[in-house]
Amino acid sequence: MKTLDEMTRLSAEDLERISLDESIPVPEELSGKVQAAVRRPVRWMLPAGIAAAVAVLVTIGLTREPAPKDTFDDPYLAYAEVEKAFAKISGTVAYGADKIAQSEETLDKLSYWK
Amino acid sequence: MKKIYILVVMLLVSVTALAQNGRSLYNKYSDAPNVEAVYVSPAMFRLIGKIPDIEMQDESVNLGPIIKSLSGLYILSISDERLAADLADDVNRFIKKGQYELLMEAKDNGEVMRLYTVGNDKIVNSLVMLAVQGSETDFICVDGDMPREELENLIAEAAKD
Repeated sequence: MKTLDEMTRLSAEDLERISLDESIPVPEELSGKVQAAVRRPVRWMLPAGIAAAVAVLVTIGLTREPAPKDTFDDPYLAYAEVEKAFAKISGTVAYGADKIAQSEETLDKLSYWK
Repeated sequence: MKKIYILVVMLLVSVTALAQNGRSLYNKYSDAPNVEAVYVSPAMFRLIGKIPDIEMQDESVNLGPIIKSLSGLYILSISDERLAADLADDVNRFIKKGQYELLMEAKDNGEVMRLYTVGNDKIVNSLVMLAVQGSETDFICVDGDMPREELENLIAEAAKD
């Protein structure tokens, strides 16, 4: 029987040739051992996968924000509020644009005196 | 097993990050004292979109081109300084997580106004305004699939008046 060290030095072709050689006896318990080793991960992978899926679903459920109640029942009032909101946003832009214009004016004055 | 733990943690983190939006801020602050809150739902926007000639009250704002692309409006007006500071912190946090880009910022004598958008070159999915003026802090979040050009035109036109 080959030692583990000898086996690690074998090429893939050698390993394939040896595995196909039916004259070499295969220990009876080897098949069971190999199957057990292959199956072992499945024992925890399935429950772990289910647990992961459940954890994600629970988190989505917990973090999903409930929809607030509409402030208005009347679409005309809601529309007026949307208008007001955009007027405020536009006011902010106008304020910013005004500040830029003031800065440019100051820069112009400074460059004039240089 | 480790890989699954890592995957679960990553999923949980990303789900939590997704939960940060205008709605979550609205839900957090709308019932607090000294807070005025307005919410317009997607259903209400659909209803508004079906009204053929809705009367314009503010002539400077022409919502016509974008009204059908809106899906949510959250407004918070806070006059409590501590709450306002909390809101500003929360807004900054959710702006960072939501990959918003700063459209404009103006500061003057303690007044701060910021506008943020998230979307792409053609569509704006969310527009956020945070304005701190003295003891008053305003937060406006507009969600939808707004054509960027139409939105910019609307704001620019209204800002002229």
